[in-house]
Amino acid sequence: MNIVIRKCLLAAVLTVLAAFLTTGCATEHRFIKKTAFKDTNQIVIEFAGPVDEAWAKNPSHYSVYEKPDPDIKLKIQTITLSPDRKTVALTFADPLNQNQPHVLTATGITSEGKSLGTAILSVKKVYLGYLFSILIGAMIINNFVFTKYLGLCVFFGTSQKKSTAVGMGITFTIVIVVSAMMAWFLYQFVLRPYRLNFLQIVVFIGLVSLSVQAVDTILRKVNPMLFKAFGVYLVLVIANCIIIAVPLILADNEYNALESLMLALGAGLGFLIALFLMSSVRERLELARVPPTYRGLPIAFVVAGLFALAFLGFSGMSIF
Amino acid sequence: MDPALIKMALGGLAVLGCIGLFFGIGLALAAHKFAVKANPKVEEVLEVLAGAQ
Repeated sequence: MNIVIRKCLLAAVLTVLAAFLTTGCATEHRFIKKTAFKDTNQIVIEFAGPVDEAWAKNPSHYSVYEKPDPDIKLKIQTITLSPDRKTVALTFADPLNQNQPHVLTATGITSEGKSLGTAILSVKKVYLGYLFSILIGAMIINNFVFTKYLGLCVFFGTSQKKSTAVGMGITFTIVIVVSAMMAWFLYQFVLRPYRLNFLQIVVFIGLVSLSVQAVDTILRKVNPMLFKAFGVYLVLVIANCIIIAVPLILADNEYNALESLMLALGAGLGFLIALFLMSSVRERLELARVPPTYRGLPIAFVVAGLFALAFLGFSGMSIF
Repeated sequence: MDPALIKMALGGLAVLGCIGLFFGIGLALAAHKFAVKANPKVEEVLEVLAGAQ
């Protein structure tokens, strides 16, 4: 009986969590069905019912900006309303950068003379593709080690052997996903509502050490073999600056839960890739005839620079 | 001082204190639940050894 109740409770908690994760904190309006990009310079809004023409045709009722810069409003050239008065197409003077989500504010929507309030909508490209582009972006195109030079001390410390490198990479990926999800939750539901954004660094550092400690305690009991394999790296994760960079980035960009998950996963896998590549090269360097002054760390830095140059080839790439 | 700022600071203290307390209790419970029995003799032997390294 007890077990059944426990299972029900667990299921309820999981459903609530899943609901949170899928909805995020989007501020959608119930009268608006869909927003999407069209062509190179159009945004189409689909309403649930007919809107008034006088309201729809007035450009001062709309304001649109690209996500990171709320001060730069995009200039609307023409507005067209479909014959059934359910879809509005905004045409802009300049082409839109469709890789960035845009925020559209429609003030005082009126339908059949009734005011329906203001809607703040985000316009995004097809969602799965967008998530995938965040993942690949964090993993390869903006690899944290090779293009942002973060987490170098752990990177050079643990890339001497392939086995330790892979162990560190996997541990790191697990911890970063756990701590980034907690950081997202706290940021969205505690720090932002209470206007405590300025404390984010302190809170995120605490969260990182918390998740490392929790993984340490739980793994020690649940899977001692894995714990032994991770060894000292688990504690070393705290000293890695990628793990603090990811929560700050996702707080800055106001990512929702899935986007944050993808960013954290991409950062972790990117670090794993970087460590694996570096350790393969360093294992071979052991056999190479390196001049004595360059042996050890100096040649490793030179190799890392070469890798960074190679990764520069991905820069500016856009997916989808 | 602006009373709004003082209110925000006190609210921040309270909120962060609650979070800290919550996670602290959570970690303590986890440590209790997932406690691993360590052999006390290991500690004793380590105590007797020189332990320079």
